Amino acid sequence: MNTLTVGARTLELDKDGYLVDLNAWSVEVASALASAEELELTDEHWEILELLRGFYQEFQLSPATRPLIKYTALKLGPEKGNSLHLNRLFKGTPAKLAAKLAGLPRPTNCL
Amino acid sequence: MSTLHVLSHSPFTDSRLGSCLRLCGAQDAVLLCGDATYALQAGSAPFQALQAKALDVFVLAEDAQARGLSLPDWAKSVDYPGFVQLSIDHDKVNTWL
Amino acid sequence: MSRSLLVISRQAPWSGPSAREALDVVLAGGAFDLPIGLLFLDDGVFQLATAQDAKALQQKDVTANLQALSLFGIDEVFACSHSLAERGLSPPDNAQPLSSEQISQMIDRYDQVMTL
Repeated sequence: MNTLTVGARTLELDKDGYLVDLNAWSVEVASALASAEELELTDEHWEILELLRGFYQEFQLSPATRPLIKYTALKLGPEKGNSLHLNRLFKGTPAKLAAKLAGLPRPTNCL
Repeated sequence: MSTLHVLSHSPFTDSRLGSCLRLCGAQDAVLLCGDATYALQAGSAPFQALQAKALDVFVLAEDAQARGLSLPDWAKSVDYPGFVQLSIDHDKVNTWL
Repeated sequence: MSRSLLVISRQAPWSGPSAREALDVVLAGGAFDLPIGLLFLDDGVFQLATAQDAKALQQKDVTANLQALSLFGIDEVFACSHSLAERGLSPPDNAQPLSSEQISQMIDRYDQVMTL
C-alpha cells in the first residue's frame, strides 16, 4: 500500500498516488504531495488547488483538462483559464497533477 | 437514415418495446431477440402494438423457436448471419441495453 | 469530422450502475470533443429531479455530476416529454423537453445511438 507521511500522520494513497480520503487533505498534505512530485507550490498553484476543491464540492467529480480550463476561465478569468498557464504550473498534465495535489480522485475521463 | 432497434427484454416486465415503438421512425426496423421475442405471443398487447405500427419486424429464429413462439406473417425470421446483414443494411444500430 | 453520438439514459439514478455508465460515456465523449447528445427517457428522467441526496446510500452523486455537463462541452441535453408527463414531473430546467416526434428525428440525425 502507498502511504504519505506528513508530520505525525500516515495517509493512505491509491496505486497512482492519489489521496484515498478526500477529507484527510490539508495545506501540509498538499505541500508533501507536491514535494514528492518535485514541485514548489506558489500562490498561483494554491489558487488552482482551491478552485479544484470547489469544483469537486460542486460536481462530485475531478475535471478532465478541458473542463478544468473552462472552469478556471469562468472563475479566475481567461488569463488563467488557458492551457498554457495551467500546463506551466502543473508540468504539462494539469488535470491529473492538480487533482492529485488537491487531494481529489484521479480524473476518470482523462486517459 | 434508418435505425435497426435491437430489443432483448420481455415486453411484459419492461417499457423498452413501448418506448421504442413510440420513437421509431418510418424507415426503422425492430429486431427481437431473447425474451423480447415474447412480444410475438399472439393476442397479447405487445403483439398488437407491433402489428399496428407496421414496421419491419425481424426475429432471431432460435430464440423464438426455443420459446415455442409461432411467427405471424408480418415478422421475418433471421439467423445470426442475417442479424449481421441487417446491422450492415441499416445506417446505425440502437441496442436497447 | 468525428461521428456524433446520442446517449439515451433510461434508468433511474440509484437502482444500478446504468445511469452512472451513461453519464461516464457522455463525459468521456465530451473530454474527447465528440459531438454528443444526452437524452433522458423512461425512468431516466428521474435523474433530473432536484433535491436528491444519496449520501446515505453511499453512492456517488450522479445528479451533481450532471451539473458539470456544460463544462465538459455537452450542451445538447434533452428529456422526453412523454416520460416526464407519465411520471407527473414538470419540465426540468437542466434539460430541454422533446416530443416523441422530435426524438424520433433526433435519433435519425445522430450518427450513432447508445441506449443504456
